[in-house]
Amino acid sequence: MARLIDLASRPTAAPVLVGLGILAVWEGLLRVVSPDGFVLPPPTEIAAAFVENFDAIWTGATITGYVIVSGLIVGALLAVGAALLVNRFRIAHEAITPLAVAISAVPIIALAPIFNNWFGLTSARSKQFIVILLVFFPIFINTVKGLGLADPSKIELMRSYAATKSRITREVRIPTALPLFFTAMKVSSSLAVIGAIVAEYFGGRQDALGPMITQAAGLTRYADAWAAVLAGTLIGTILYVATVLIENAVMPWHSSVRTTDGR
Amino acid sequence: MKPKPKMWRLLAVLLALATFAVACGGSDDAAGGSDDGELTPVTLQLQWVPQSQFAGYFAARDLGFYEDVGLDVTIVDGGLDIVPATVLDSGASDFAISWVPRGLVPREEGLNITNIAQVFQRSGTLQVSFADSGIDSVDDLAGTNVGNWGFGNEFELVAGLRKNGIDPASDVTMVGQDFNMTALINGDIDTAQAMIYNEYAMVLETVNADTGELYQPEDFNIIDWNDVGTAMLQDAIWADADRLDDDEAYREMAVKFVEGSLRGWIHCRDNPQDCVEAILAAEPPFGGPGHQAWMMNEINPLVWPSPQGVGVMDPVLWQQTVDIATAEGILTSAPTDGAFRTDIVKEAIANLEADGVDVNGNDFVKGTVEVTEGGN
Repeated sequence: MARLIDLASRPTAAPVLVGLGILAVWEGLLRVVSPDGFVLPPPTEIAAAFVENFDAIWTGATITGYVIVSGLIVGALLAVGAALLVNRFRIAHEAITPLAVAISAVPIIALAPIFNNWFGLTSARSKQFIVILLVFFPIFINTVKGLGLADPSKIELMRSYAATKSRITREVRIPTALPLFFTAMKVSSSLAVIGAIVAEYFGGRQDALGPMITQAAGLTRYADAWAAVLAGTLIGTILYVATVLIENAVMPWHSSVRTTDGR
Repeated sequence: MKPKPKMWRLLAVLLALATFAVACGGSDDAAGGSDDGELTPVTLQLQWVPQSQFAGYFAARDLGFYEDVGLDVTIVDGGLDIVPATVLDSGASDFAISWVPRGLVPREEGLNITNIAQVFQRSGTLQVSFADSGIDSVDDLAGTNVGNWGFGNEFELVAGLRKNGIDPASDVTMVGQDFNMTALINGDIDTAQAMIYNEYAMVLETVNADTGELYQPEDFNIIDWNDVGTAMLQDAIWADADRLDDDEAYREMAVKFVEGSLRGWIHCRDNPQDCVEAILAAEPPFGGPGHQAWMMNEINPLVWPSPQGVGVMDPVLWQQTVDIATAEGILTSAPTDGAFRTDIVKEAIANLEADGVDVNGNDFVKGTVEVTEGGN
């Protein structure tokens, strides 16, 4: 018992225990109530469907995953580039920021059929553009904010050293912006997954994850649908973890990385 | 001092909740129907949007055939994410129109629905490609972008591919296309799924940018699943099997509903223009009089002739559909007993025959309809 309590108080134990607990309750509840044709099958059924359809899910995950990751990276590069420009040049700020705000207000998913027509139904390009548009604004606005948050006294100090604007940006503004940038990346990685999957609903290759979910649901094969959803969730989780790892590697000096509390 | 304000607050909250509950609970209308000479309300869930494909039901509603048997039928549009089987099973509709495999798959998943009238005898699904694409038969589909609508509409295609040794997962690229022929015309897909009565007409109603004239049938290669041998049964009337067993009133309602519907279909066979007008009055989202007239003209040959009597399941055709579905992995096993029943439709047919109505259409001849630009 004492060993169990000891084990349970380790930092990794809590989420695992909570997760297993939820799964157990979910499974137990459905076994007891056992309704027919229920939309949410027990976890064991979903796991079984995941294993049974693994080949198709793997293919889907690679197709959709490629769109998610490539869209996220390109969107992030564009957003950071725009943020740097906006921070540096007043004119860029006046030109780009209102445009970015306007674009963020567009129901981007509604553009999916238009992009399908422009870029081709079967090409990844049409879905990538949806992801790029979706992730651009959060990363842009957070990076702009971060670049602008630099401590004025540090900037004055750099100026007193006759540092060039680029040097100030590189050595003061960018490090200040990094925490906000990584937060935006964490948010954007979920947006990228959602965007790619929903964009796929509007037509295109049917071996991608999105159609896999809708088709299975349309045929009331809910375990298969949830198995594909699970694959999407895993992609999102992997991206989140990757972002955290990169963050820890890039900002080892930051207080949030050095202590175990600051997540 | 303390209890008083708290108590008033509590009473106020309880009063609000009670009012809310009464307001919500009061909307339970006569779902079971009344028996004081009024019409029994019935809801029918269509598989798709209003169009001549469902002409029989609209004609029955607008020409009073349902009223004559004491029913007040509300017809609910289908659409992309609407699965008739689930709507029916949930009780949101009393009956539903669904293709047979699209009813059998949910039935296998546990939705206890049953086919009470097989209205369409033949399938209208085609794969359409341009004549110069070289796609003359199913074998030529290997390695191409094959457009289809998914959601169970692609079963005949999938069965046809597998029957010819082509694996839909790896030998072709299955592409989800819209319910039009844009992707085919754009070249995004090499072959498009089309119903002979709907999307095929859409492309014939389009002007060919190269010639300035409407596209002609000679411009296309057609793969007809009836010829390939993997065509499956389509539009049928489905009902809730459990409710039929438990509720005598529902079974009576079913007989009347089928009778009224079949009378509508018979009327559409003999007076197609009347039915086109009924559909146009229901504001179809695609195509004007020309398109709906084409559709009516192509739907009739799918229903007629019905040698066993319209709506009566031909066991040979049923077995064929089941065999294809199980052989090509659409169903994991043959459907259990009760997937279809003929007692209800036979009662309805008997009533119609007593009226001297022709329920077989053995002399039916397909008419001709001229294609109009844009379906107008």
